[in-house]
Amino acid sequence: MGPSEIRFEDLIGKTVRNQYGRAIGRIEEARVEPEGEDCLVTEFLIGPLELWPRILAFIGEVPTLRAVGLGHQRRLRPFPWHWIDVSDPKRPRLVETVKAEKAEGAE
Amino acid sequence: MSKLLEIALGLVTGIGGFLEAGSLATSAQAGAAFGFQLVWALALGTICIAFLVEMAGRLSAVSKHTLPDAMRERFGVRFFVVVLVAVVLVSFLVLASEIGGVALALQLATGIRFQWWAPIVAVAVWLLLWAHNFSLVEKGASLLGLVTLVFAVAAVKLHTPVHEIVANLLPSVPHQEGAKYWFMAVSIIGASVSPYLFYFYSAGAVEDHWDEDYLGVNRAIAGLGMSFGGGLAIAVLACAAMVYHPRGIEIQHYEQIPLILAEPLGRWGFILFVASLGIGCFGAALEIALQIAYLVAQGFGWNWGENVKPREAARFSLTYTVMIFLAGLVILTGIDPLKLTIFSMAITALSLPITVVPLLILMNDPQYVGENGNHWIANAAVLFISIVACIVAIVAIPLQLMGGS
Amino acid sequence: MELGLEVLDQQVSDRGGELMGKVDGILLELRPGKPPRVAHLVIGGGTAARRVHPGLADWLVRWRRRWGPKDDQPLEVPWSKVLKIGIDVQVDLDARRTTAWAWESWVLQHIIGRIPGA
Repeated sequence: MGPSEIRFEDLIGKTVRNQYGRAIGRIEEARVEPEGEDCLVTEFLIGPLELWPRILAFIGEVPTLRAVGLGHQRRLRPFPWHWIDVSDPKRPRLVETVKAEKAEGAE
Repeated sequence: MSKLLEIALGLVTGIGGFLEAGSLATSAQAGAAFGFQLVWALALGTICIAFLVEMAGRLSAVSKHTLPDAMRERFGVRFFVVVLVAVVLVSFLVLASEIGGVALALQLATGIRFQWWAPIVAVAVWLLLWAHNFSLVEKGASLLGLVTLVFAVAAVKLHTPVHEIVANLLPSVPHQEGAKYWFMAVSIIGASVSPYLFYFYSAGAVEDHWDEDYLGVNRAIAGLGMSFGGGLAIAVLACAAMVYHPRGIEIQHYEQIPLILAEPLGRWGFILFVASLGIGCFGAALEIALQIAYLVAQGFGWNWGENVKPREAARFSLTYTVMIFLAGLVILTGIDPLKLTIFSMAITALSLPITVVPLLILMNDPQYVGENGNHWIANAAVLFISIVACIVAIVAIPLQLMGGS
Repeated sequence: MELGLEVLDQQVSDRGGELMGKVDGILLELRPGKPPRVAHLVIGGGTAARRVHPGLADWLVRWRRRWGPKDDQPLEVPWSKVLKIGIDVQVDLDARRTTAWAWESWVLQHIIGRIPGA
């Protein structure tokens, strides 16, 4: 493991906070695209913070349960890679506060 | 191999391999204690396992992944480890019960106590797996397992009232001994819906290189195989109901069970019972040991396979070796195999949501099953049965333990 | 492609199709001003245990140091060695020559290989 390398699996599930310390969501996924020989991260997918929405999302994976109103579809918000500073994987930070809040507002 | 031949083989395996320690013990006890009242539990359990086996086969055929493989990929290692621990624990108990079943068959045949047979049975199971030609062993065990058809013959000979069976296909409430009734219902469901069945089936589908073309074969094998097998279990219940229930005697010891065949069929009934118990449990022991090893190996990405030389899959072989050894030890301690069997069946029912829900989610995930996802009926049926079984188990097990049995 | 869903925890096979474990971890290289790059896929060596519970991983590593193979390090496969990602992740390596095989060799040598008929 090199000096500028982080573990992706350490990132998953960690809460992203903005510069004011406010929790925005949890990192659930990273989207990558190949570019030449490399594979680069394009977006981080952010999911809900609270336990209950996460449980509902899990249960909602079975369409029958969704059909009867238990659980809902998994909704993750894509954040471009440069909006989040992951240099400390245990404490990811939101870099571009203004644009992120716009995205949240549009939710 | 032609599809029709595959279906035939699958049917033989389904029928010949259905009855083992769990289904024999739970069906017999239920028939003795409650007559035909608990037929619905067998029907429910059979429907559930037919759905689950079909799903496991479909998942493997379409996604080319085995169930443990797909589970780890889809849910991550943390979730997988939870399921792994639950299924291994439950399967281990059932493995010990099966070894106990074979040992008991040998006790019935020879008079030598079952404990002393345990190491020999364990070694025999291990040797057949070590010989790394399980495909052959499986076919042999299934064919031999057809001896269990004797229960159907006996049920007919006892003039089993078919209308009683049909009438009790719908659930009913007991008139007395509620705790015992529900505990038995739950154990029957646990005996029918053993996770090892669909985990093992999924591995087989991958090893046989099934693909979308096999979906019809899969449905036929799962549906017909499990249905006929369930029918055999109902026959066991019927025999016990005809022989023991009218006398008001309950089955508390394994030695009582052979009578349900001995009465209608005389000495041959006894012999065939011993053969059924021994062969059925032996076949199940082989499958469960393999299935536990599959679960661990496939979850961690090791080499695995039923016909693979031990030196080509060292960790996989070590896993089933250790499991069989430990299970043999459990029976060597002299623990009552009947109690162990009934208990492990109840625990299986308790663990159903953990073992079943991940499969359901996978079966509805287009990434794994493409357009061959579950029909809502299948989802609903399996969910309903699993959750209800679990809830009833949570209530019934403590009550039964307190009541003492 | 989603890393967690399609790469992490996938089965890894070598250039000959031999099964060599699962993608237990992924290392991202952080570069100032540029998107993070997938640098290595990590296999084995307690990486999966770390995700289940860090304490478990430490305990496991200590236990493995005492009883297992000596070269038990996690295998870091550079992204350039990844041949394709489909049903599984195929890498351009020979499994038996990597540390991913350490435990398989050890079990074979010390336990399984000693039993006749293996």
